Amino acid sequence: MHGFLVFLKKEFREILRTWRLWVLPAIMIVVAIISPVFAKITPALLESVAGETPGYVFEVPDPVTVDSYLQFWANAIQMGILGVIIVAAGGIAGERKNGTAILVLTKPVSRGAFVVAKAISNSVLFLAATIIGAAVCVGLTIVMFDSSGIADFAVSTALLYLLGVVFISITLLLGVAIKSQAGAAGASLGAFLAVSLLSIWGPARDYTVAGLMVAGDRILRGDEVALLWPVLTSVVLIVLCVGGAVLLFRRKEL
Amino acid sequence: MPNVVELRGLTKTFGDFRALDGVDLDVPEGSVFGFLGPNGAGKTTTLRILTGLANQTSGTATIFGHDVQADGSLARAELGFLPDVPGYYSWMTAREFLLFTGQLFGLSGSALDERVASLLEMSGLTDVKTKVGGYSRGMKQRLGIAQALVNAPRLLMLDEPTSALDPMGRKDVLEMIAALKGKTTVFFSTHILNDVERVCDYVAVLDRGRIIKQAPIDEFKNQGGACRIMLEVTSDTEAFVEMLAGEAWASECHAEGALIHCVVSDLQVARERVPALVAQRGIGLVRLADEERTLEDVFVGMVGGDV
Repeated sequence: MHGFLVFLKKEFREILRTWRLWVLPAIMIVVAIISPVFAKITPALLESVAGETPGYVFEVPDPVTVDSYLQFWANAIQMGILGVIIVAAGGIAGERKNGTAILVLTKPVSRGAFVVAKAISNSVLFLAATIIGAAVCVGLTIVMFDSSGIADFAVSTALLYLLGVVFISITLLLGVAIKSQAGAAGASLGAFLAVSLLSIWGPARDYTVAGLMVAGDRILRGDEVALLWPVLTSVVLIVLCVGGAVLLFRRKEL
Repeated sequence: MPNVVELRGLTKTFGDFRALDGVDLDVPEGSVFGFLGPNGAGKTTTLRILTGLANQTSGTATIFGHDVQADGSLARAELGFLPDVPGYYSWMTAREFLLFTGQLFGLSGSALDERVASLLEMSGLTDVKTKVGGYSRGMKQRLGIAQALVNAPRLLMLDEPTSALDPMGRKDVLEMIAALKGKTTVFFSTHILNDVERVCDYVAVLDRGRIIKQAPIDEFKNQGGACRIMLEVTSDTEAFVEMLAGEAWASECHAEGALIHCVVSDLQVARERVPALVAQRGIGLVRLADEERTLEDVFVGMVGGDV
């Protein structure tokens, strides 16, 4: 893959010097801060609302540590993945729109190197954002609750990261297929909704990537979750999407 | 001279539309080659195929003998390219962008630093420390040529390098191209005839996807033996223009103030007949002179004036 390392280095410098540096970490930090806070105050809020209704008794259990992590999972799986899609959509579609892809690809840089560098840089960015977000969430949770449940939270966060990489790959593929950045983002959001709906159906949840949509929640609640098929199909999907993006991009006219 | 670029039967279709229709073209090594044609003639499509951005429907295209489809990387390693609207990473400075493009060609260390410094000097961007996003169009175009030269290419391809520039920007870019004469082969597309006349030594005219003519520029201008004359008469200028226009050897006659310009098919006949016509009209001849035929005259005659 001609030019891969030079282009990958450019990708990381671009992340450090543009808006891309702030979007995903900011989303994950916001999620990390609001999750334990909401988990802590939600019962009190509900009780105060219920208390204003005469004759209505509303009992809410006291918040526990796992509520904070469940809240993080619920928020991150929506806001985090949405952020991943927005950032990844700007990768290939953005460079095609701005004309930078033409200047780069008329040099001895293979289109495969171009696509794979985009996939890796976005995945590393999301990894950093996920680690930062998870660390902030754990810290606040320990302060506001206690230090229990960190192992399960780590597993659920790893699954969240894998799901994020799945959507980076899907978005890159769609960014090659669809010229417009907004179109690629919109189609990826459609894919996210489709996977979310699939997760309701038992067989899809047990044997496909759709299982990742709910796996973290179930693990945090203490359920036994078989991860082999969801993880395996996710890895296969990542390889297929990135490989498909490379093959499709090689045939695309710019 | 060996050919740097060779196109044989190059055809590109978009549905029923034939953007290129069996193009044959040879670009000699060391030439500054003007690829001339009206808008929509297929110039950019040809360059996109040569640079690997698009694929031909049929025919072959080679650069230094490398087939651009089969050996795209080898072909691209030998060339520098500036698209018609170059896109840059707006967060980079000119120096950073040139270092980046140099590294894509495998350059590094002091050789790259020296190369970048000389290109910044050549493009007048040495002291510009702002990011590329804030550059004027002319600065971007100069940077575009600099990045196309970063690998000291044997072939420099420029797509409409002056079309979007103001007169000063255009002058700068043409001077940069002229300075490369004898150092590298320059192949540039344009619809601006004056640019071709100023810097090119070879021309090919493309119209509706077909090469109409390819020749050295002097041969091109003398095509068909036609040339221009300029004359001035003492009075009745407009009436004398009409009189000239009635002659079989004269065409495109028109007056500009007191001067009359004509394209003539036979210069000797014109020299003999003009004084006779003046005498017949009963007016005086102030002067009669040959004029160099412009590329525009030839071009308009070829493609019907749609420039």
